[in-house]
Formats: sequence, C-alpha cells, structure tokens
Amino acid sequence: MAKGPARPEVKAKVLEYLAKVQKAKSRDVAVAIGETKSDVDNAVKELTAEDLVEYLYITTTFICLKGKVQTPGDFDADKE
Amino acid sequence: MAKLDQGPPNYKEMLPPVIVENYGKWKYHEIPRAGVLKHVGEASTLYSVRVGTPRLVSIDFIRDVCAIADEYCDGFLRWTTRNNIEFLLSDEAKVNPLIETLAAKGFAVGGTGESISNIIHTQGWVHCHTPATDASGVVKAVMDDLYEYFESMKLPAKLKMGLACCLNMCGSTHCSDIGIVGVHRTPPRIDHDKIRKGTEIPSLVASCPTGAIRPDPKNKSVVVNEDKCMYCGNCYTMSPAMEIYDAKNDGIAILIGGKVSNARSAPSFSRMVIPFLPNTAPRWPETTEAIRKIIELWIANANKGERIGEWVERIGWEKFFAMAELPFSDMLIDDYIFSRETFRTSAAFKY
Amino acid sequence: MTEKKTPLLDELEKGKWPSFVTEIKRAAAKNAASAELLQVLERSYAERRGHWKHGGIVGVRGYGGGVIGRYVDEPETYPNVAEFHTVRINQPSGFFYNTKTLRTICDLWEKHGSGLTNMHGSTGDIILLGCKTEHIQPIFDDYSEAGFDLGGSGSCLRTTNCCVGPGRCEFACYDTLEACYNITNEFMDELHRPMWPYKSKIKFSGCANDCTGSIARSDCSVIGTWRDSLIIDQEAVKEYAAKGYDIQGLVCDKCPTKCLTFNKETQELSVVAEDCTRCMHCINKMPKAIKAGKEKGATILIGGKSTIVQSAFMSWVIVPFMKMEAEDDYEEFKDLMRRIWEWWDENGKTRERIGETIYRLGMTNFLKGIEVAPVPQMVFRPRANPYVFWDQDQIDKSGTALDGSAL
Repeated sequence: MAKGPARPEVKAKVLEYLAKVQKAKSRDVAVAIGETKSDVDNAVKELTAEDLVEYLYITTTFICLKGKVQTPGDFDADKE
Repeated sequence: MAKLDQGPPNYKEMLPPVIVENYGKWKYHEIPRAGVLKHVGEASTLYSVRVGTPRLVSIDFIRDVCAIADEYCDGFLRWTTRNNIEFLLSDEAKVNPLIETLAAKGFAVGGTGESISNIIHTQGWVHCHTPATDASGVVKAVMDDLYEYFESMKLPAKLKMGLACCLNMCGSTHCSDIGIVGVHRTPPRIDHDKIRKGTEIPSLVASCPTGAIRPDPKNKSVVVNEDKCMYCGNCYTMSPAMEIYDAKNDGIAILIGGKVSNARSAPSFSRMVIPFLPNTAPRWPETTEAIRKIIELWIANANKGERIGEWVERIGWEKFFAMAELPFSDMLIDDYIFSRETFRTSAAFKY
Repeated sequence: MTEKKTPLLDELEKGKWPSFVTEIKRAAAKNAASAELLQVLERSYAERRGHWKHGGIVGVRGYGGGVIGRYVDEPETYPNVAEFHTVRINQPSGFFYNTKTLRTICDLWEKHGSGLTNMHGSTGDIILLGCKTEHIQPIFDDYSEAGFDLGGSGSCLRTTNCCVGPGRCEFACYDTLEACYNITNEFMDELHRPMWPYKSKIKFSGCANDCTGSIARSDCSVIGTWRDSLIIDQEAVKEYAAKGYDIQGLVCDKCPTKCLTFNKETQELSVVAEDCTRCMHCINKMPKAIKAGKEKGATILIGGKSTIVQSAFMSWVIVPFMKMEAEDDYEEFKDLMRRIWEWWDENGKTRERIGETIYRLGMTNFLKGIEVAPVPQMVFRPRANPYVFWDQDQIDKSGTALDGSAL
C-alpha cells in the first residue's frame, strides 16, 4: 500500500466507480479507473476512515460504498 | 476516538521476573511429572504447571485462573498453542500445593511429553455457519475417554489431535497424529426464492471453488452440478439460500499419521482411514471407540519414540488396515488433485 | 428468566475433561445471549445441525477486519442471539499474560458481550464470542483505550503467532516473541485493511520442532535453525549414559542421517556436522547434552495452507538461512515479505492462497518475481522431465546455423 496521504483524484475516482457496482475487489477498481492498486488501497484506507467506503468480508474481502450491500441480518428482517 | 493500529499488547509487560532474568538463557528442561515442566536457566529455575481447558471458556473461568495465578505465580501465566494454560512458578515449594489446589477445583493437569495434548478444534455447532458436526462436544467426549493418556506419560510418543468441523479443515487436522474431520456428503439445497430476493449471482457463482455452480438466467437463480460439488459450504457463506447441512448424512471422518515437527522425518499429512462415522450426539460413541482402538493398537505395536505416522509408515499402511481391522474402500483412495503421489508405484508390499 | 432444560448438553458435563457446557452455563447465568446460545446449541444437538449464518459487514471505522458477522437462522425464536458476532483481539506474543491484563479483557467483555471467549482461536487471537452489531464500535473503543488492538479477518495479513521462544525454551534459534511483535507492528495496514486476493498468515517457530505448526498452518513459515555444527557437551553425555539412557537406541539409531556416533568405550558422542540436517531429534532427546550451533537464524518457507481449495500444502523452502536479529529490525525479512506479497497481489486470483498461485504459475516465475536465486535446498529432488521454460532472452535467436548461414 502506498504511504502518506492519498491523492484526492484517486479517492474521487474510487467513489465514482463504487457507485456503479455492488461491490468490488480493489484490484478490479484499480484496473477500471487506471490507477495503481497501491494508490487505490491507500485511497480506500482514507475513505473507510471517512465512513464513505467499507470492507465486506464474504469468502474474500470486497470494498463497497458504505451501507450499499446487505448482510444476512438484513435478509431476515425483510428490510428489502 | 479509538487509537488505530497500536498493535498487540507488548509481551514484555507480561513476562514474570523468572523469565526476564533467564530470557534466551535457558540451559535445558525436564519433565519431573506429568503436567509439570522444569526449565533450568542460567539465573534460576522455572516450573510450569500445565492444565487442559475446553478452549470455549467464560470470563469467570479466566477470573478463577487469574486468582490461582495471583496466589501461586505472582500474577503471571500463559496459554499454549494447544489451548492449555501454563501456570509459571519460580518457587519449587509452590508446585505441589498448586497442583493440589488445581485438582481440588477440578482442573485437568497433564498434557506433557508422551501424552495426548489438548485437541485443537473449531467452533462447530456453537458458532460456525457450515459445520458438519459439533467441535467442542466431540472433543469433550474423546478427551473424557482418553483422559488417562492426558494425565500420564505412557504413550510411545506424543500424540497431537485436531478437529475440524467441516472439510474446509480449519483447525490443525491435516497434519495431526489423529484428525477428526466433519464431513458433509450432500450438495447444497437451493432456495430459489431467497436467491431471487437478494443474492448477487455472479458472486455466488464465483464462491464455488470447483466451479460447480452455474447461473440459471431463466429462473434468475443458479444450478449446482452435483458431480463437481465437494460439499465445502463456501456457497452458503456467500448466500444463506444454499443450505448445506444434512443431519442424516453429515458425520465424521478420521485421518491419522500427520505431524508438523521435522524431528527424524519430514512433516507429513494425515491420511484418511475411516471415511465416515455417524454424528451420534451428544457423546459420539462410534468416534471415541474408533479413536481409542487406533491408539491402543499404536501403544501395543509401536517402538518407543515412534509417533503414529512413523509407526504406520514403518509397518506399511496395508498392514495397518489389517491390524486395525478397518475396511479399505474406494473412498480412501485419493481422486482429488494430487492423488498420483499416493499410488503405489512399486511392486513391493505386504499382505 | 425461567430455567430451560438442556438434557443433551447436560451429558457433556459428565466426565473428567473440563466441560464447555459448564462454561456456557456460567456465562448464561449472567447474560441473556449466552443463555439463548445454550438453547440454540441444545437444539443443534437434537437436530444434529448448525443454526448460524455468516454475515459480511460488521466492522469498526477505519478497519476492514477483526470482526466476523454471525447471525442465528431464526432470529424471532432467538432474539438475543439474532446478532452474535465474533471480535478478534490480537494476543500478546507467546500468549503470555499478567492477571491484570486478563481481568481487563474480562471486565470489558462482561460490559459489552456474551462473556464467552475462546482462549485462543486457531490463528492466535483472543476470541470474544458473541456481541450485537451496535456494540462493536464501543467494544473496539474500550479495548483500544485499554491498549488492545483487533486481529485480522478477511483477505489480509492474519494475526501473526509465535511459539514460546526464548521466553521459556532452550531450543529457540531466534527471538520469536520479539520477531512476532516487531513484524506485526510493521504490517498494521496489511493486517487491518484487507486488500489481497485472500488471507495470508505468518507463524514464527523457534526451531524445527515447529510448535506453532507453521509449516502446515501458515503461508509463510519462519522456522529457527542454525548453520554450523551442533554442540555436544561430553560430560553431560556421560551423565545420560551413567543413568542408563539408551543413547545408541533412542538417539543415534533414530538420527535420520546417521550422523551421530556413540562410542561405548569412551562414552562420547560425536557428530559429522556436514551430514546433520538439524531435525532436532537428538536435541529433543538429550537437551542437557546437545545444543544448536552458534550461528543461528531461520529458514523461510512459503505456501502452507489447509485443504480448501486445491488440497493442503505444506510450506516449502525459499530461503534456507536468514539472520533474524532484532538489532537489524528484521529488515531482510520485511523486505522479502513485501516482495512476496507484491508478486502475489499482482498475480493471484481472488481467493487463491499464495501457495496455489505459485503452483499455478510455477516456482521459477515466483522466484524471478521476488528476486530470489534458486538453491538445491528448495527441493527434495530436481525435476524428472525436460520441459524447461527456457528464458528466450538467454538464447541465441539470430536464426543462423553454426557457419553463420540463415536457418
């Protein structure tokens, strides 16, 4: 992961991309937005601290916009 | 705001003075009696008294243990990688009183040297989402049955066991002297309504390690190729619409002969010798009996110092099956990815 | 609360081994979720099936792991365990504790959760078993305040673990406790922010007895060893002999390379150092008389994992000997890990452990990727086929015959 503050334009592109999908691996995000994975990972680190993005662990770890993907708990509560 | 990334507590604050003064300067150790280790250092001597735990413990259990450690060990203790507790004493005179106290309170002292140590295990029905058997209950039943080998040191060599509650094999079963593995034997049942309600199908398809799940666009659901499914339950992790449990068909397989130590021979995998035993809760008599039988056979036939795998490799697996009176079947011949190395490419064998 | 019956579980309070059912009941006396867990479990025993579901998002702000979502499958019947998540707390090296620390763990868990724990999880964490989603952030805040941090979950560096090492073992060839502590702190991003194809584990064992099971249970196994000759104390050998210890039978005869000779006349033990493979057998058997050499370090092995997906792998050697010294801040090891993870992150498929990636793409490819030169210690034996993927850059591609004419 890149060190130091993330570049604002990478953060913006990550948010823009995640708005278009349910969830994604950060590698796929990097490929899609044309940035290095290391920069994307660093951007995600900041975006999660800002509560805009969250990690999602279902068999592997994905990232998604905060609150976008349901948990099984939500299924049961019939929230959809 | 919580502190991020501060890392684990510093172990240096957890070390008793007797360890600090001998740190890295230990000379040798002895096992004066079952459950007690004596480590002699350049500065002084440390006694460790080992007790088994069920791993799943309440905070009141931990507090009880703390009270004992305060009384006898100046407030220091440790756990082992096999979920035992070790009370650390600098004063030899306190060893026997501690053991008496532990015995009076029902703690299990043992697990050292040529004994069976605690069974590494998983969550099972207590907390896992894809268990094919319980973990804690099977361990309890097996350890009750083998207790005499925990509190003594009369085995040919050490005996390490592991239990994994499904064939993902969390826990340390694949390199244990004896591995107890929960097995599912039937593919997941698909709840198409549930899938249509909220499962992301590409992710579900991708979750299958063998590619057995295909999208079924017509039904807005998926189909499972049952020939490819090896019942791992990964799809259930992805979607609760893929139930894998099957009470009548779930059960236990027994694998033996693995080890991780490099001593004498290279580390080795455990090998399946019993493909299926029923899930007879609450005390799994078929499993406890099968394990006891293997252990007693090993005790009666192994050379001193030989772990189960070393003994079986010496006499030959074909001989082991005959001696153990275990049926050999197609289920015991590997037909997964690295099977060929298990085939006998030699005309030399026993009957 | 009316006392509900648990006849099947009660059977597991009998016998000499300590009972987990007793432990759940102790927690149940104080906590409604634990009391309900007992009911769910009794039902599992009757029906012989589990009642839990996995869940994706439960976490703390700024982290991508450390909490595992768990939900009961009938929340209406069991509202107190509708959410029953696991929190992983990173354990101190070697599982050493003072009682003050343990009591803090207990008090905070009594305040926020079920009161049930696993000491410890298979990877090494202190496992806090069972809490509600809304309590996760407060739990983390309180534990953080008290000096604890979360362990790993998901596609990250999982919580690292080590053997007791120099804290209590004369066999330790490097300081496993310090290495584990130092290296864990170095890789906080990798541990707390999952970004890889899948999980990755490191275990530190001080010698080839491998008490952490690193070769079987971690993607990177760091196993203590030495390079020079083992050291024999002949006086101590004589003491073993005088006590009637069967040095020939139990030590020499079992040495895998037969490099030890016991002279019955002189009662001395000698070693052919260059034949010794440092398996630890003789040291285990005669710890008073035989010791590791002076030039100590570790063997680094890669690829270990359990069965899912492509069968279980045991780690294999990539660096036969590396110094593991706190004074060097473990820089050589850290650099190697960064190169390894970068190669895997670049080449691994989703949910592929590094051993599987190497197996799919080839060890040669991997070694080139991480810039490590091949040595014979990496293999048991060389290949038996001629299908070498020759590096075409090293080949004469002029397309001419020996006399220079065009082919």
